[in-house]
Amino acid sequence: MANMTNLYDSSICTACRACQVACKNWNQLPASIKPFKGNYQTHEDTDGDTYTIVLMNEVDNAAHGVDWNFAKFQCMHCFDAACMKVCPKGAYTKTEWGATIHDPDKCIGCQYCTYACPFGVPKHRKREDKIAKCTLCADRVTEGLAPACATTCAPGALRFGDRDELIEYARERVKSLQANGYPNATIYGINELGGLNKLYILTDTPDKFGLPVNPQTYGTINFWQNWVQPYFGWLIPVALGASAVSFVTTRLMADKHQDHPVEGGHE
Amino acid sequence: MQWLPEYRDDVPRVERFTWLARFTHWGHTVTFLLCLFTGLILFLDGVNWLAAIFGGYYGAGWVHRISALAMTALIGFGFVFGFKGVLVWIVDLLRFGFNDLKFLVLFPLEFFGFKVKVPPQTRFNGGEKGNSMITPFMVFLLMISGYIMWFPSYFPASWVRVAYPTHDIAMILSTVMVCMHGYLGSFHPGSGESFWGMWKGTVREDWAKHHHAVWYEETYGSMAGEKPKTILGLPVFEEYKSKPKDAE
Ligand code: HEM
Ligand code: HEM
Ligand code: SF4
Ligand code: SF4
Ligand code: SF4
Repeated sequence: MANMTNLYDSSICTACRACQVACKNWNQLPASIKPFKGNYQTHEDTDGDTYTIVLMNEVDNAAHGVDWNFAKFQCMHCFDAACMKVCPKGAYTKTEWGATIHDPDKCIGCQYCTYACPFGVPKHRKREDKIAKCTLCADRVTEGLAPACATTCAPGALRFGDRDELIEYARERVKSLQANGYPNATIYGINELGGLNKLYILTDTPDKFGLPVNPQTYGTINFWQNWVQPYFGWLIPVALGASAVSFVTTRLMADKHQDHPVEGGHE
Repeated sequence: MQWLPEYRDDVPRVERFTWLARFTHWGHTVTFLLCLFTGLILFLDGVNWLAAIFGGYYGAGWVHRISALAMTALIGFGFVFGFKGVLVWIVDLLRFGFNDLKFLVLFPLEFFGFKVKVPPQTRFNGGEKGNSMITPFMVFLLMISGYIMWFPSYFPASWVRVAYPTHDIAMILSTVMVCMHGYLGSFHPGSGESFWGMWKGTVREDWAKHHHAVWYEETYGSMAGEKPKTILGLPVFEEYKSKPKDAE
């Protein structure tokens, strides 16, 4: 099955945050009330009860004074998902259409995934001691519906559909943005981390939207998963095996020198 | 076939470890092994049958954490109340010298049961000196990284990401050492007698003379009366030069 993706267009989004509400509503998540900081950014990050937020970036721009750059932030459903690699319980799976799904029944709350994710998306839900994150509304999509956030988005900044078709559409859109006063307009998500099952049309470079420019899986996480986990552990059976061999050979050799019974070893 | 060397109370014995040292050692052994088996469940990526022994994954997680706390408390306890013993131990490690190097070279042969002539050793032989440095250091790393993994939100995220491979590497190296160490300190015919030193506190006098000649002579033998050079009541670093008078 083709990859089904949610495309977000920052040039259309009005930051009404209806997607945040629709997500809460569909996933039956309680409100997560944060202290008022004197700005529009009500939530600085996703949390165990908040799968998506709209980032509000105020950025100086030589051409048009100040840009107010919005970016809807949630799980990126990476094709090569770091969360999936580190999870010792195999709680993460990929749907055949590209969503990264987390199974709370398997999760033990170790939070390895939180720190491995290049976007820091999976968050610990303290009341259950489990991780929670955006599901790409897999429960809706398998029933033929679009995700709740995409369905609710009034101006049409969120579009759900076939990834390849959306990439075609995004290319056209970025071309026209570039020709109309946004020379740095770009698409985010086609090649980042080997491809994200989430696309962004940005009116400027990703750093102006609070997104990592060239996201990479952390070196320490790669070292841990690619070297330590699969190979280093073999030293333990080697040590056990050597001890077992010694158990036998010491006794065989002690039998040979019957004059000097079990007490082998050095003189 | 014989497993442990027989405990003989019909032969002269000498004290090797105090009650406090033995209590701490077996305490951290039990808690270390509990941490190891509960930790391996995750290291091996979800071993369900092993998890079931500890009441499932959450049960195992709590056994890991409670054992970790108990191990930390025991080591802290041994360190504080046996502080002088720890210093004596460290001073013995600082006596690492030529005889210890020779021991380490010959050790693989002795390990598999070949008869070798090992030079006289101090309280801890070359191998034990190595073990005394590597294993406690790895346990120290396990503790630091373990608490970071337990309470990640109190530490910078980059520390948490370093803690994961650190915890695993320290687990592997300490477990490798403990496998060999546990075997040498019990079923190995040559050094197995040391088990009774750790279990009952004493070892056979003739075994002590053979295996730890320097220690034996300085503590119980011909040099026992001689006051060793001390600073603050502790023996000072001095490379052992001549063979004690009546060691063979
Ligand atoms: C103060 C001591 C220790 C603390 C605080 C500690 C804490 C932790 C924590 C929080 C985890 C994450 C897994 C979970 O949430 O259940 C963990 C995993 C683990 N621990 Fe420990 N631990 C300690 C000592 C040890 C020791 C002594 C060993 C074994 C020799 C050990 C071996 C492991 C292993 C193998 C894992 C799994 C790592 C993986 O998933 O690759 N730990 N530990
Ligand atoms: C598995 C079962 C174990 C057995 C049978 C065992 C046995 C012993 C014995 C007999 C000694 C005294 C050696 C001597 O006479 O000098 C000893 C010392 C020691 N043990 Fe263990 N032990 C075990 C587990 C552990 C564990 C899990 C640790 C730490 C993680 C540990 C750390 C030490 C250290 C640091 C020493 C002092 C240095 C040395 O003699 O190597 N042991 N042990
Ligand atoms: S964004 Fe993070 S949580 Fe989502 S799939 Fe990628 S690695 Fe996993
Ligand atoms: S917290 Fe849950 S989902 Fe994340 S790595 Fe641990 S077991 Fe897997
Ligand atoms: S796809 Fe579903 S779960 Fe993800 S942000 Fe949108 S509404 Fe929330």
